Amino acid sequence: MSGHVRGFARFVGRTASRAWHHPIPTGKVWEQAWFIGVKAMPILLTMTAFIGSNLALQGYYAFKALGGQSLLGMFVSLAGVREMAPLMVAAMTAAKAGTEMASQLAVMRIREQIDALEVMSIDPYTWLVVPRCLGILIALPALTMMCILTLIGTAWLVTMLQLGESGPQFLHTAFGALTGQDLWIALFKAAVFGLLISLISCYCGFRSKPGPRGVGDATNAAVVTSAVVCAVVNYLISEWMYA
Amino acid sequence: MTRLASMSPGLPRATRFCGELGQRVVTGTMYPALIADHMWTLASRSALPVLATTLPTGMVVALQGLNVFDLFGAQRLLSSLISVAVFRELSPVLSSMLVAAQGGASFAAELGSMRIQEEIDATEVMAIDSLRLHVLPRVIAAVITTPLMHLLGTGAGIAGGWVVAVLMRGEPSGVYWANLWALTQPLDLWGGVLKTAVFGLIIGLTATYRGYFATGGAPGVGVAVNETVVQSVLGFVAANYVLTSLMYGSAP
Repeated sequence: MSGHVRGFARFVGRTASRAWHHPIPTGKVWEQAWFIGVKAMPILLTMTAFIGSNLALQGYYAFKALGGQSLLGMFVSLAGVREMAPLMVAAMTAAKAGTEMASQLAVMRIREQIDALEVMSIDPYTWLVVPRCLGILIALPALTMMCILTLIGTAWLVTMLQLGESGPQFLHTAFGALTGQDLWIALFKAAVFGLLISLISCYCGFRSKPGPRGVGDATNAAVVTSAVVCAVVNYLISEWMYA
Repeated sequence: MTRLASMSPGLPRATRFCGELGQRVVTGTMYPALIADHMWTLASRSALPVLATTLPTGMVVALQGLNVFDLFGAQRLLSSLISVAVFRELSPVLSSMLVAAQGGASFAAELGSMRIQEEIDATEVMAIDSLRLHVLPRVIAAVITTPLMHLLGTGAGIAGGWVVAVLMRGEPSGVYWANLWALTQPLDLWGGVLKTAVFGLIIGLTATYRGYFATGGAPGVGVAVNETVVQSVLGFVAANYVLTSLMYGSAP
């Protein structure tokens, strides 16, 4: 455990120093941003659609007991934008993009392609890790914005069509409760989570043990560690920003 | 009838896979020792991640809930809100997500590397039913363990809420515990267990299917793990919506 913490700190330090000192391969950064953004988008949007509709259902059934159906929009937009969307998007990105990074790098590691890069005096951090970190840093805030809109949109549809409440009232309370600050914090969270997911997943891939089992285990460790770290960091950011 | 292993990927193969597993549930032995073994692996590997995710999330709910309830002076409702939010929604989804990411992924990695290293073929050569030996115990273990992880996550979420409300914001502890179950119903308890058992089934089936049919060497195992996590999470989030509509939509 402590070995992993130290190893991870060294990994982050190396990545940061390479990003600072070496020229950044801009083409690869955009390639990764495109890759992460486009490949993860359908899955993320589908998931947030279900999260949004579920928030509306649960909020409705909980508020009905108190006679506060009119607050549903506020509940969905606050719970959705402040906490659910950033956290769920991070978890799903860890599951989709994080596992992909980890398994790609793990396969490169066990096939000694990373050593081959070093032999050719191409720095693997500059070439493999930095583009992934910067790419996700570009892609994830944009994806989070789209997910927030999807979440509120599906919650609105469920409120109107399934629950039979007033749609305009929902939108009024939903957007009335949101402030610009909430959106900025959600974007900030997305950027932090993206950076954490990419660093953790690349680290797990780099440290992969040989064989098919090693690749599987590295991928597994990547998604679990990033999900847990994102949940904890989510609390810390909320405590810092909202308390 | 063509053999399952020689079928091409697609819906017929998936249906056949589930059908053959269902047939094995009702006929023949179940290998309880293997089920217990996988349950232990799943529980011991997922418990810590589940705790480490639901605890901070319960803390976040308390934090945001207090922000809103302070406006109305309704802080006493906080623990009721936390227990409803954690019991109905957060713990089932987050715990199952972690079970999928940790347990489901490791099932896929195990079965995938067994397939790649031809261990599954070796079992078949020895005339041992690989579905019954390798797949079924894992699926059943997932169905039983996921609800347990959900209950663990619920406890952690409520404890996390208590930490923020009582220890950090100085709300009275007695009020927190007294109002904890004010809005929850028995439906929330067994409904959550039922929901997570279905999620566990989705996770178990996805993981074993992806692992059992992994192809393409070591990268194939990575792909299997990746697809397991993504598809099972999508699957149970969708199932969550349907189940919530059914359970709470029909309740008064």
